[in-house]
Amino acid sequence: MKRKSMKKATGVFYGNILILLALGLLVGLGTTSLQAAYPRKPITMIVAYSPGGGTDTAARIVAKFVQPHLGQRLVIQNKPGAGGQIGFTALANSKADGYKIGFINIPSIFMVKMLRQNVPYEMSDFVPIANIQMDPVVLAVKADSPYQSLDDLIRASRENPGKINVGGDGPQSNNQLQLIVAEKKLDIDFNFVSYNGSGPAITSLLGGQVDAAVPSASSATTHIKNGRLRALAIFSDDPYPYLPGVPTIKTASGIEIPCIGASMRGIAAPKGVSAEQVEYLQQAFAKVMKDPGFLDRANKMGLPLKFMDADQFNQFLEQAEKDTREYIDLLK
Amino acid sequence: MFENILLGITLLFSLSMLTAIAGGVVGGVLIGVLPGLTSTMGIALLIPITFSMPPAVGLAMLGGIYLASTYSGAISAILLNIPGTPAAVATLLDGHPMTKKGQSTRALALATFGSCVGGLISVLALLFIAPPLAEFSLRFGSPEYFLLAVFGITVISSLSGKDVEKGLIAGVIGLFLSTIGNHPLTGFMRFTYEIPALYDGIPLVVSLIGLYSIPEVIDMLVTRASGEKIKLDTDKSNPFAFLPEVIGQKLNLIRSSLIGIMIGIIPGVGCSIGGFMAYDGAKRSSKTPEKFGTGCSEGVVASETANNAVTGGTLIPLLTLGVPGNPVTAVLLGGIMIHGLRPGAELFTVNADIVYSFILSLFVSNILFVPVGLFMAKYCVRLIQVPKSILAPSILALAVVGSYAIRGSVDDIWIMLFVGFCGFVMQFFDIPRAPMVLGLVLGTMAEGELSRSLALVHGDVTAFLLQLVTRPISAIILILCAISLFQGIKQQLRRN
Repeated sequence: MKRKSMKKATGVFYGNILILLALGLLVGLGTTSLQAAYPRKPITMIVAYSPGGGTDTAARIVAKFVQPHLGQRLVIQNKPGAGGQIGFTALANSKADGYKIGFINIPSIFMVKMLRQNVPYEMSDFVPIANIQMDPVVLAVKADSPYQSLDDLIRASRENPGKINVGGDGPQSNNQLQLIVAEKKLDIDFNFVSYNGSGPAITSLLGGQVDAAVPSASSATTHIKNGRLRALAIFSDDPYPYLPGVPTIKTASGIEIPCIGASMRGIAAPKGVSAEQVEYLQQAFAKVMKDPGFLDRANKMGLPLKFMDADQFNQFLEQAEKDTREYIDLLK
Repeated sequence: MFENILLGITLLFSLSMLTAIAGGVVGGVLIGVLPGLTSTMGIALLIPITFSMPPAVGLAMLGGIYLASTYSGAISAILLNIPGTPAAVATLLDGHPMTKKGQSTRALALATFGSCVGGLISVLALLFIAPPLAEFSLRFGSPEYFLLAVFGITVISSLSGKDVEKGLIAGVIGLFLSTIGNHPLTGFMRFTYEIPALYDGIPLVVSLIGLYSIPEVIDMLVTRASGEKIKLDTDKSNPFAFLPEVIGQKLNLIRSSLIGIMIGIIPGVGCSIGGFMAYDGAKRSSKTPEKFGTGCSEGVVASETANNAVTGGTLIPLLTLGVPGNPVTAVLLGGIMIHGLRPGAELFTVNADIVYSFILSLFVSNILFVPVGLFMAKYCVRLIQVPKSILAPSILALAVVGSYAIRGSVDDIWIMLFVGFCGFVMQFFDIPRAPMVLGLVLGTMAEGELSRSLALVHGDVTAFLLQLVTRPISAIILILCAISLFQGIKQQLRRN
């Protein structure tokens, strides 16, 4: 009995060695014939948020559809925690060999850096590749709310300064930043109440626990279309494609309000990655943004897309950093 | 409605649908048994696979994972005294003592059938009375959540075993640990020492792994030489022999299911609290409350029935309003939206075929995890016979890998070991660990909701106190808190 199992074990052992040898041979052949071509192996993309969240879902869909354009698999690696700080730091510190890229969130990546001490990354640690998504903040009230328009809400807050409760993701989120910028520009004062994400803020608005809320547009769209919530304005320069008829904040208020709270999601690599690799990646992501399969999927789930190539994204980041820095003290 | 149900049934019995359910259930049971893998993670990773499937098939698979993994955390809780998921913490209080007495098959059977009944009742509620329950769930605001957390904390006396004082100590340790991390309203960092892994607070799953597996490992290493083995089953080994015992506890099953459904529909409370509250309910209404904690069948049935009843409950606001109640359903919402479906009334009319076949698939999943779980448990039972000198290092390795896997963070391994050391000290002084888990879970909720309630009334304490008594639901919870405390103190005095 014992000998028999021993025999079996040695058989398995030799079998394994054979498989290993065969694999090694294959890998060896692969590398010699494809030496020059990038990418030679799957590329890893760091996502600074938990599996299943908005950022992660967007990243996974992009990853699935970019594969044919990239010529390799794009593997998602979640490094969640500390509002993105852990993931952004991991990206900044990873090897710049073109096989590690990250899905970054703007303005969170600036806000973490500006609001906290000893954050171990600089914005110059990242090389922008492409922007994929733009999810603006929307100002919404419950369907049966007395506030029919933005003007009604502004008037009410002037009559009762600091008494109108506005729920939103927080504390120190892009949603809160957007509200504070609007308050300053419109010279009004709301009482911002933090919730653990846009979802819970919407739930409390549905239950009439707050007077208004400032969730991300993507998480509020369903409820606005169902007629349970009414959108008063969207914090975006252009109308939001999934909510036609909702005025931009400029149209609704007549005042220019910087829309710096919009959550942008794009691709970046650690500093030091070669220009050819940036170019290759940028091309791949530009192609996926025209891929009908991807567009159809994004449209079905209401994923708001906004493509920027590496140069545009870089310019945008510089401007956004300046704008965020201008208003960040209001959050402290 | 009945037309839609019939439509759902016709869609349900297709090969692809049944394969998806079976795959989901088998995967879910595995995810639940392993302490480092959570339902949320399992579903999140599978969503991209489901989008090439028809929506109903993809959702049925995700549903199978959710239900089966919520149940199967009980297997590791019962056999190894390590909860596979947070939902199983209340199960191990009586489940593991039963294993020690050589009744592992009985404990596993009770947990399995209880989960099945709780799950089925909650899906019935989802099918027939979802809209009114969902509207009710929206009436919970911050004051109600705060009181609910306080009510949960009063359950500590039931979880404490012999010494209520020691239970209270454990509860306070848990509450203290829950204050680590940023303040929920101001973002102010507390006790974080600039370690980013602590900014969001002590992660629950990581701390559970440490709290339960490390003391177990140390204990095994100390007693390894004694050669004493846990007895394998001394009872009959056919788990179905215990079905009548479960069915016999009609009152317990109904009460625990209702508690589970209620906890489920309230967004943000979760499976583990459902288990704790039902355990407390069973103990309070039992004729022999002193047997709880020593291997009492009512305890296992109550906890498992409730935590699976939570699953159907959480789907009620999810499908009718698009409001996810816990991390798993938040991920499921993503899985629903990815198919272009919009939760709400429209889902039940325009997409009736999809939503009804999904709901009906949950019945199948709830029944299917019984044979799958029992089959898997039959092999897992042998684990307790593995020599301690092999089992202990294996559990330690699993704990390290599991706590790393949650967020891919090495710091989490250190957190796990730290909490594990605390658990060892507590076990040494015979301090129960379940109240600490309760404190850790509810402390965050109580603190956040209290400060949010105050923020909503602009810091006016009198207005807040007035709200607690004038809002109808909060007044009811306040009365429940008073009753619970009064009963607990009375029992304590009687015992002295």
